[in-house]
Amino acid sequence: MSMLQVKNLSKSFKGLQVLRDINIEVEASERHVIIGPNGAGKTTLFNCITGDLPLDSGTVTIEGRPVSHKPNHTRVHDGLARTFQKNNLFNQLTVEENVDLAIMACKPYRFRLFKPMSRYADMREEAERLLTEWGLWDRRHRKVDELSYGEQRLLEILLALASKPKILLLDEPTSGMSPAETIKTTKLIQSFPRSITLLVIEHDMEVVFSIADRITVLHHGEVFMSGKPEDIRGDERVKEIYFGGGMKRHAEA
Amino acid sequence: MNTKTKTFLHLACAVILLLLPLVLSKFGLKLTTEIFIMSIFVLSLGLIIGYAGLVSLGHAAFFGIGVYTVALLGKYVSSSYVLILAAIVFAAVTALLTGMLFIRSSGAYFLMITLAFSQMLFVLAYKLKDITGGADGMPIRATLDLGFGAIDSVKELYYFMAIAFMISYALLYMFIKSPAGKAVVGVKENEHRMKALGYPTRSYKLLAYTISGGFAGFAGALYAYFNHFVSTNVLAWQFSGQVMVMCIVGGVSVLFGPPIGAALFIVLQSYVSSYTERWPIIMGIIFIAFVLSGRGGIAELLIWAWNKVFGNKAEDKPTVPPPSAEPEGPNPKGVASA
Amino acid sequence: MNLSILLFQILTGLAYGMLLFMMAAGLTIIFGLLNVVNLAHGALFMVGGYVAFAFTKEHVNFWLALVIAVMIMAIIGVLIERFLLGRMYGKELEQVLLTFGLIYIFTDTAKWIWGSTPRSIPIPEILDFSIPLGIVAFPAYRLFVVAVGILIAILLWYIETKTRVGAIVRAGVDDRHMLSALGINFKLVFASVFAFGAGMAGLSGVLGAPILGLYTGMDADVLLLSLVIVVIGGLKTWKGAFVSAILVGLVDTLGQVWFPQFSMVVIFVLMVIVLIIKPSGLFGKGVEA
Repeated sequence: MSMLQVKNLSKSFKGLQVLRDINIEVEASERHVIIGPNGAGKTTLFNCITGDLPLDSGTVTIEGRPVSHKPNHTRVHDGLARTFQKNNLFNQLTVEENVDLAIMACKPYRFRLFKPMSRYADMREEAERLLTEWGLWDRRHRKVDELSYGEQRLLEILLALASKPKILLLDEPTSGMSPAETIKTTKLIQSFPRSITLLVIEHDMEVVFSIADRITVLHHGEVFMSGKPEDIRGDERVKEIYFGGGMKRHAEA
Repeated sequence: MNTKTKTFLHLACAVILLLLPLVLSKFGLKLTTEIFIMSIFVLSLGLIIGYAGLVSLGHAAFFGIGVYTVALLGKYVSSSYVLILAAIVFAAVTALLTGMLFIRSSGAYFLMITLAFSQMLFVLAYKLKDITGGADGMPIRATLDLGFGAIDSVKELYYFMAIAFMISYALLYMFIKSPAGKAVVGVKENEHRMKALGYPTRSYKLLAYTISGGFAGFAGALYAYFNHFVSTNVLAWQFSGQVMVMCIVGGVSVLFGPPIGAALFIVLQSYVSSYTERWPIIMGIIFIAFVLSGRGGIAELLIWAWNKVFGNKAEDKPTVPPPSAEPEGPNPKGVASA
Repeated sequence: MNLSILLFQILTGLAYGMLLFMMAAGLTIIFGLLNVVNLAHGALFMVGGYVAFAFTKEHVNFWLALVIAVMIMAIIGVLIERFLLGRMYGKELEQVLLTFGLIYIFTDTAKWIWGSTPRSIPIPEILDFSIPLGIVAFPAYRLFVVAVGILIAILLWYIETKTRVGAIVRAGVDDRHMLSALGINFKLVFASVFAFGAGMAGLSGVLGAPILGLYTGMDADVLLLSLVIVVIGGLKTWKGAFVSAILVGLVDTLGQVWFPQFSMVVIFVLMVIVLIIKPSGLFGKGVEA
């Protein structure tokens, strides 16, 4: 049974068919990367998987359980978590407060009214552990607005990790980053334990080939090709899709 | 400002408030009592505006429900406990039910719908003259009695309302520090991300709205015991508007903002209206001047002044590092554990 | 009930609905294009009526008074936009406080100048007759109001479909610098929108005065009705305001027949039903949670 299964997924906006009959299977522990030129429908696909957008037809299954029509906020509890291409953080709150909210989402006491949140020791421990491991502990009292772009991107990933997901969707994690930041982030992603399955959208081909176990190519809303990195890398038709379409070594902003 | 200072300031304010009867005239006492009651009401609105991001222009509905519950039910029931509890419950339930319907709508729409709803209640109370007394109003015979004897002298009412205010403030403070309260703020800051993190955001907004309605009803009940009279004015949208003004002027980003706004508004209105019948024009000009000065609320002003004078520990830390700084990556000792 | 009486009621409801539409149009225009909830809308309506009254009281011709009042309200609209609301775009709380202050000022000034006794403007002579309808006669003035309402609806339809004004204004609210870059004077555009909205409020105030009268506190009634119409019809759509105004007008008038005294409650029930089915109003293009 695969970790994530997308079957015959279609989605259109006001007559424009954005996704057509998408089939993707992501096995547990796999690092599956989705690539494709701009406008191929990658983020729309993510939004359909996470429930941010209702799908027109098809199914999404997590560990065999269908989630296709469940509201987006319930999917975290099915083991799904995602990051956003454009930073989607709590800009007026501090790093610590951001992480607290992310951790608390999965706690049974998230609706409690009386004990101050700061007194829940397990949350404090988890927050400390998460922040320290990923190097943001010293910055925990800074507001998100005050962080560098790279730090914000890191926080973006951190928030998704807080829910201890089984499958993590990363939407262009290196978007807007400098070469040095991109290398650091790639190493980060490579260091994720195999207990987390990854589904990643990426534009930067070096990053793609550094992390992928399998690659799916999306083009004009359809699955063009899916297979091992070696097969994709050598394929002439894939190269053709990218000519003039914007295959760049660094992600554009 | 650290917790010790905050606690000290709060306790100092409490002590001052409890000692005020020694220096205030009877008129002053009554005015301050009214300020306490209105502060609870304004706090309830400040809760949803400042912490839940719900701007309602119809909060008088819940206050009115509170007042009329004591006025009408008080004809058949004499226990103050029952009456006050009933007021809170009716107001909270109304907030819950209407919230379920209204919160689905976005910002400006929500503003208009809440206004329309409270006006509906106003018209209802107005038309049901025989029961409510309509615009002419009806006297409230219920007496406040917690089992130790009637609380009806000016001083006794002052202390009762002062304590009611402090308890309300404390409860709301507890709420905003609680997990639920923190989540509510999260929803206001970035609802989309909260959903992505797994929160049922609508439930949180509803929770804040219901709690707010309950406190507004509580304030209404207290008002009934204080004023011994109610007219449909308590449901008028002008009243909702006044409360919103108090909130905005006081400052919505902190809990102590709304009470300051309430105190200022009530004192100002009392002062200006004693000089001229044209006080609405003067108040209107003051509001506009306030907005144009673009300073945020008084609470924000006070915080800024405090930081100027005493400094702020967080501000002393080094400023943002240059953009080329890399994130440090996982601690070499441990791999990110899931 | 007798057919001609029913017809009378329906026409009355229609006329009332048209008046409501004109009332709500000003609010919808300002909110739809500038994203500002102009709470002082009811006050502008009232002031428009009172200004015309100030002239008709001195035996000035109704039509002349109408034109003068509308022009004065449009100018006031420009002043409000340029000096007060102009800097508050996007700041909801500030707008509420500001328009609230305006309400206080306008309503108390009206009370100061014209007192609290209800006033009225007589129906202009040309229209002061009734058209026979079976056993009843329908006032021609109300038919005139219906005609004006339809004209305004056509005007709005024309502006929306045949010109780019709407798109320009909405774009400007999002990014005024882009508008300047395109060579459009956004200050002029915004001020014009407000002038139009305020002028519309004034127009409906004057036209409504012979029917509704002028009284202290009418600004609250007008604002409430306008808001209810916008809520039922949907945000930012004058089409929605048109349909919902007629609906409300009919429901209210016919409701008066069956549930006198409680027409407001009937309208509220209508509003709740609409909200349950469509949280953004009948024609609203809102984002639903």
